Amino acid sequence: MPLWFLRGLRRGVVTTRYPHRPDAFAAELPTPPAFRPRALTSELADQLAGICPSWALTRSGTELIFDAGACTACGRCREAAPEAVAASGEFELAATELTHLVKRIPLLGGDDS
Amino acid sequence: MTRPGTEETAEALRRSVASQFGRSLHVRTLDTGSCAACEQEIRLLAAPHYDLHRLGFFFTPAPRHADLLMVTGPMIRAFDVAARKTYEAMPGPKLVVATGACALGGVYQPDAFTHGSVGETLPVDVWIPGCPPSPLALLQGLLVAVDRLAEKVRDLAFIQDGDAG
Repeated sequence: MPLWFLRGLRRGVVTTRYPHRPDAFAAELPTPPAFRPRALTSELADQLAGICPSWALTRSGTELIFDAGACTACGRCREAAPEAVAASGEFELAATELTHLVKRIPLLGGDDS
Repeated sequence: MTRPGTEETAEALRRSVASQFGRSLHVRTLDTGSCAACEQEIRLLAAPHYDLHRLGFFFTPAPRHADLLMVTGPMIRAFDVAARKTYEAMPGPKLVVATGACALGGVYQPDAFTHGSVGETLPVDVWIPGCPPSPLALLQGLLVAVDRLAEKVRDLAFIQDGDAG
């Protein structure tokens, strides 16, 4: 039996307070990656784009284009490059436009060229 | 191309439509070829822990009673007619929410069998990413759709803190 259920029975409340505040377990949800531009070389960006199973990552010149809508939060990019990719911790991702979900991550050395 | 102020007018109209739904909104789910993980999470919304009804949302089995169409899956081409009929059967004003990474253009590329994105067939108002989106993410998406929560993802950079420069 899940712990939140027992805790809820004890307190008499089982329902989440979501819009007010998220549950504690929200921190453990699989979330899309966040990138560290200082560790992202263009070679690494190409490698990550190749790893991504859902076409969420593509490299365009000196930018890594990350489509958070296409991301399945599988964690493969995080495993491949833990120094450059970490979990973002964001799960409230609803967007009114698809373009709001497409993020441009600058790559290392992008400003020099 | 567009007159100045048109976008503001469209935004105001969207907000007035959303406010019409207020605190009573009926949701019809439509599976266009999903793996059913999204459906599992959507079903959880009706469970006591998430309790969709406290927010004024209800599931309905009939599109004619629905205000909001929650579409999952990559929109397989075989489903075109059914999806269009479902959408046309709904009374206006109506909202469409695309749910899950398949519906948003991830996972499946367009090919002979799927459109690869719900947006190819239906006019989508809100997109909820996730594979599957957690019930909390779905709740946020529904609340964004009726304008009771602000969209958050637009301002996220997905760059780690302290490393933006």
